[in-house]
Amino acid sequence: MKCAEIHPNVAAFALGGLESEEAAEIRHHLTSCTGCQSELEELEKVNRVLEAAPPPAAPPAYLKGEILSRIRAEQLSPSNKEGTEESSSLEVQRRSHRTSRFNRFKELRIVLPSTAAAALVAMIALGVFFGFLREETPVATIQLIPTPQETVGLKGYWGVAEIRPQPAGNQQVELKLNNFEEPKPSSYYELWFVSGDKRISAGSFTSVGKGETRVLLNVPPEASNYHTLLITEEHVGKGPAPSREVALKGDMP
Amino acid sequence: MGFATRDILDDRQRSPGHEMTQRADEPSDEQLMTNLDEPGVEAALSKLYDRYSRTVFGVGLRILGDRSMAEELVQEVFLKVWRSSRTFDSARGSFSTWLYRVTRSVALDLYRKRAHRVRPVSDGDPYVGSARDPSAGPQEVVDESWLSWRVSRALEVLDVPHREVIDLAYFGGLSQREISERTGVPLGTVKTRTASAYKSLRKELTVQGTSREVIR
Repeated sequence: MKCAEIHPNVAAFALGGLESEEAAEIRHHLTSCTGCQSELEELEKVNRVLEAAPPPAAPPAYLKGEILSRIRAEQLSPSNKEGTEESSSLEVQRRSHRTSRFNRFKELRIVLPSTAAAALVAMIALGVFFGFLREETPVATIQLIPTPQETVGLKGYWGVAEIRPQPAGNQQVELKLNNFEEPKPSSYYELWFVSGDKRISAGSFTSVGKGETRVLLNVPPEASNYHTLLITEEHVGKGPAPSREVALKGDMP
Repeated sequence: MGFATRDILDDRQRSPGHEMTQRADEPSDEQLMTNLDEPGVEAALSKLYDRYSRTVFGVGLRILGDRSMAEELVQEVFLKVWRSSRTFDSARGSFSTWLYRVTRSVALDLYRKRAHRVRPVSDGDPYVGSARDPSAGPQEVVDESWLSWRVSRALEVLDVPHREVIDLAYFGGLSQREISERTGVPLGTVKTRTASAYKSLRKELTVQGTSREVIR
């Protein structure tokens, strides 16, 4: 026997989703209907393929925003994009129209000899700290990455420090930290400008954990000769000496 | 597993009405890839993310067996899509195939880096508990991922009501009556949707003669 239309419960039966009475009824029907038997065989093949299906889960909603934020940050460092090294000087020129004055200097560094690049970096540093580049956009952007190096990409957090000149030679540092874990109880974070074994503190702060933490800090003009930024975790009552617990680090480009 | 590139499901064959459906007036994946340069990068990547993040995440869960690693996989994969967009050539294959290769490569790297930390996680989500046993080696881990990818893409093209009955019945283990009670949809409609969802899945998985390879 072959019924004119496939029994409406065959698919539910293939899924094992029928109540016992309905299941018994379709089981009885299948013993005599070749059409529904064939249909069931086909549906069971789909079932076997579904075993390979990934679990029906979606990534957390905040993830897309994080990815787009990271792209925004990395656009300030165009060398992160594959193929940049092979880019022609025309491509470098094309992109330079879209970047800040600071990044234009950075891109030029790709094609200049290293000595000239070093001189350029020195000029940038002078420009940053003596304030002749007075504009709202940051004159230096420093990527802050987790330390030690081998943990980069594993800890899941990162940051950017943007430096803007202020009157009287001071520098404003805006930290943008993403998913930077909250400090331990009775602890806080501190930003340092470092040169060799000398440090200048730019101030202390805490973070919010998941999401973005923004912090505004200021450093005096003397920091102009300190080219490494460190964020350390400090403990209340441990005195003014910096701890060795470095969480993020970045170097002036 | 060894499926040929030509057997890839055509993502343009999507059911109407699905939230992930690519409408005729919307850019194709391949067109969006050409926009991954400033200033349209965010809109283009956002669209690709909407279309594929569930598949990348789900396959990541299956390969890596860990939610936080799967999240990291999604992040690294879409950053790589942006960073490596110039290496994509639509003449050599579909975006879906290329994205699968990127996903597999990143997942394998993550697996190797963090093998000592891999563990099955069930954080209250019953579906995540079905992620694979991480004791298998890296190659074994990715061997079945291509089939997972294809099945995921086939599920993604179902519209929301049909996807829901498959999720609740197949992955959630609910009976048709329980689905009806939970969703408030009449029992007869649940049965009709189940039959229709199966039909669509079978069609998706058998396009371009893949039935003999995929459904066996």
